[in-house]
Amino acid sequence: MSVVRVAGVKKSYLAKGKVVTEALRGVDLVVEKGEFMAIAGPSGSGKTTLLNLIGALDTPTSGTVEVDGRDLGTLSPNEQADLRRDRIGFVFQAYNLIPVLSAAENAEYVMGLKRVPAAERRRRVAELLAQVGLEGLEEKRPLEMSGGQQQRVAVARAIAAEPAVVLADEPTANLDQATGRALVEMMRRLNRDRGVTFIFSSHDPMVLESADRVVRLVDGKVASDERKSPGEPQAASS
Amino acid sequence: MRLLLAISWRNLWRNRRRTLISMSAAGLGLALIVFYVGWIEGMIGEAKNQLDNTGMGHVEVYAKGWRPRRPVEVALADSKGLLSTLELPAGADAGARVVARALASGAHGAQGVTVLGVDPERELRLSKHFGDVRQGERLAPGDGRGVLVGEKLAEKLQLKVGHKLKLMVQGADGEMGVDVFRVRGIFHSIAAPLSRATVFVDAPAAQKLLGLGEVAHQLVVQLPDATQADEVKRAMEQRLGDRAEVVTYAELMPALLEIEQMTGTMTVVITLFVYLLVGLGIMNTMLMSVLERTRELGVMRALGERPRGIVALILAESFWIALLSVAAGLALGLAAVWAGADGSLLDFSKSTESWEMAGTVLDARVRTAVAVRPTIEAAALVFVLTTLIGIYPAWRISKVEPAKALRAN
Repeated sequence: MSVVRVAGVKKSYLAKGKVVTEALRGVDLVVEKGEFMAIAGPSGSGKTTLLNLIGALDTPTSGTVEVDGRDLGTLSPNEQADLRRDRIGFVFQAYNLIPVLSAAENAEYVMGLKRVPAAERRRRVAELLAQVGLEGLEEKRPLEMSGGQQQRVAVARAIAAEPAVVLADEPTANLDQATGRALVEMMRRLNRDRGVTFIFSSHDPMVLESADRVVRLVDGKVASDERKSPGEPQAASS
Repeated sequence: MRLLLAISWRNLWRNRRRTLISMSAAGLGLALIVFYVGWIEGMIGEAKNQLDNTGMGHVEVYAKGWRPRRPVEVALADSKGLLSTLELPAGADAGARVVARALASGAHGAQGVTVLGVDPERELRLSKHFGDVRQGERLAPGDGRGVLVGEKLAEKLQLKVGHKLKLMVQGADGEMGVDVFRVRGIFHSIAAPLSRATVFVDAPAAQKLLGLGEVAHQLVVQLPDATQADEVKRAMEQRLGDRAEVVTYAELMPALLEIEQMTGTMTVVITLFVYLLVGLGIMNTMLMSVLERTRELGVMRALGERPRGIVALILAESFWIALLSVAAGLALGLAAVWAGADGSLLDFSKSTESWEMAGTVLDARVRTAVAVRPTIEAAALVFVLTTLIGIYPAWRISKVEPAKALRAN
């Protein structure tokens, strides 16, 4: 069952009515439920643009994007916001936690938007923070935590509301090798244990080795789509 | 909602100095307005309750047709009997006066004056200046030859205590009436026209000078509370019927009432004017604060916050600024009003002895008083305007596409 379906998507950026960048030049992609996949490619290849389109953060110039069976092009801005809240989790390269909220408050933010009862929110957040190894740091503000800890909070926030898919844009780019590896292992564990679908954009070889599937973009087009065989070992999960 | 209020409250203190500057601008503006309306309220209150500075009454009674030309022969008969029948509230004072225009002549000149024939004991409670005799002595009851003159008149006519003063009037029969009085005392009044052109004599002496019997031209009633005036007027009208005209101080000084009514409108106008200036500054500060957080607000949008949620967040921030500004502004403004209630803050006595306002005369030390309604109106207006100031920054940031917001530095 597909969670994401991208068909013939093009995205151009305009300035003064003229096309200045063609970020995507016709991308087709289907992501199945439970996949742990990466979108690879050099800088400027269109990775972030593709994730933004899948995440209903931006609109394609042409083509269609479906998430959980819903065509994003037919949704109003409010419906897109609701879809992001209910079905999509985000992990950003720069963590992007809300600086005035504690780790626990950040993690429960999306559940708050979904009006999950407070007691249920607290229970789930406590469980998640323990799962991502942040027990005892619940009341810390982002500036009081390391980059790795902040990114773990971001992952907890992304999966707390039980989305259909988590989009992670260069999640290890600002982390050292060991911290990045630990983060990827943690996401891998969540993928296995909870069946959460992950789509990364990355050019970090460690991340790419850990993925079950790697889609390579070059100049806004899918250059390759490689799947590992089920028995093939994964570098990050040892 | 709880999270929204928490985020907005904490956002407020991320840049403490900027928030405090915004709050200070709004709060100080409100404090000034509260103090200003307290000043006006104090002046109006004193104008109403200190009519004895000019000897005016909260309620005055005249014979029908006496006002405004004041013919001597049009008078209220049996003034003493009338006074005794009036049912007045506890603490009220009343007296009868004979009033006439006269030419006052001394050894060194002449001056047109108003002669007031009074009962000295009653007048002491009606006119502050009647009792404020700086030279000589007060007018005694039954003193048919004595006259009290004001300082400015004494100065002009070079009168001293014991000097003679001739008063010439047109009597009730149209003939000239002349009598000579002796200056018993020189009174001080903060109202220059009274000091320059009013003399007091005993009522029977005035009646004799004018060729009248036991009549009065004016009954003056001063009340402990100016708000009782309309009620007292109605009761007196019922009792006196058609033979007398009963008027309140508000009818005698319509400008005072207009000033009072205008204060509310002026408060709104001044508040709007002040906030046109202050509000632009606050809006600019808020816009800066919001645009600095474009990326952060973009993240919130990405996580599923609707545009109206972002608007609500920014408005919650302006709500907090409004709430704190109004609290601080009210506290400061009311403290200043309280500090000025004894006249120490607005003491103009070094440059002038009195203020004239709407036909009445006030002490140069203005005692401020809390103007309840205008203060509430100003506070409400400041609260609403400061909260609404957040609309433009909120609207502007809510229109930014999430992807674009996430790319912001």
